[in-house]
Amino acid sequence: MANLRDIKRRIVSVQSTQKITSAMKMVAAAKLRRAQEAIENARPYATRMRSTLEEVSKGSLDEGHPLLDVHDERKSLELIVITSDRGLAGAFNSAVLKEADALLAEREGEFEKGGLTLLGKKAGEYFSRRRPSQINHSAPIDGDVDYPQAADVARELARRYASGDLDEVVLIFSEFVSTMTQKPVRAQLLPFTPPEAEEGAESEDVGGYEIEPDPEALLKALVPKAVEIEVFRALLENQAGEHAARMTAMEAATKNTEELIEKLTLEYNRARQAAITGELVEIVTGAQALE
Amino acid sequence: MAIELVVVTPEGEALSETVQQVVLPGEAGEFGVLESHERFLTPLQLGPMEIIRDSGNEWAAITSGFAEVDGTRCVVLVDSCTLASAVDAGAVESAKAEADGQLSSLPDDEANAGERARLEGVVARAELELDVASR
Repeated sequence: MANLRDIKRRIVSVQSTQKITSAMKMVAAAKLRRAQEAIENARPYATRMRSTLEEVSKGSLDEGHPLLDVHDERKSLELIVITSDRGLAGAFNSAVLKEADALLAEREGEFEKGGLTLLGKKAGEYFSRRRPSQINHSAPIDGDVDYPQAADVARELARRYASGDLDEVVLIFSEFVSTMTQKPVRAQLLPFTPPEAEEGAESEDVGGYEIEPDPEALLKALVPKAVEIEVFRALLENQAGEHAARMTAMEAATKNTEELIEKLTLEYNRARQAAITGELVEIVTGAQALE
Repeated sequence: MAIELVVVTPEGEALSETVQQVVLPGEAGEFGVLESHERFLTPLQLGPMEIIRDSGNEWAAITSGFAEVDGTRCVVLVDSCTLASAVDAGAVESAKAEADGQLSSLPDDEANAGERARLEGVVARAELELDVASR
């Protein structure tokens, strides 16, 4: 039978763990709300960007854009892998990293070399052990996601793509489906595929604009921005997903500590009762012996 | 005579109000937008935006993007938009000094082209913000 003091000590330790997990859950919930707001805030920009891009690419273009060109050569593939900086978020990061490994395994034969652009400390740590020679860029997310951060990464890759240094760029991140579900997804970033206007969805909002000085010039301004916003969106989704995953994981952990405390308390009470019974038996036997 | 000005950035709607006129830094030169302007789309470059209201003028620093204009609305899509009143001169100065320092210590070669372009962008934007704030 376990010693009373030992059981008590375990109960106290589990209780303090519970305090931590439930506090982390509440922090994650608050951060998740903020992250969801950030996604909402980015939506009007992305929607307008898309409709304008549709409008511009509808017209006949004599000249495309270097970021839209599909390279015939299959020399170098670049992967952007986005994870969070911190762990304790269930299988959130490992799902993305597994997806990245799977993609590398699938497509490595197709290209001469594969490079990695890593955002988030967890991706950096994972690949610095496994494929240190392939890492081109690795940076932590560092607090809240902002647009310049996404734009810098996108610009650098766009520059390398346009110069012929890269032949394809794929983005791997967690999509925020709901608080309970985050799905690792891969999305081709470059060559960029402009959104196609849906059949019959002729929006009056963008139709009939005069484009100055000409569609090519506008396309030149638009395409890099559309690439940047893709990276930004991935970072935002990742951020919301991270907090949602942590919230779910911490909720489960808090529930487990509750169960454990209940079990330990029962054990404690049983042990205490056994000790009392033992003492009583001793007293009674002692008294009987005196008679 | 009034036009609705809406400035949208990836971080949310920066501005939405009815103004008399707005002057924007187009890639082909500055242009003003008044009510009943022809419908058109044009790229914008980093530069000052002047908002003209009945109550007076206000300046803002905008980065590259584009503008969508029709007779009643002028929608500006840019990476960022900072009103002159919101410019923190001290913070901008120190950011500019830091970027300048990094720029001067970076060797001017192909390998650093991306980093140089980024730093130059930071400096240009800081200069614009300071300029706008002093108007």
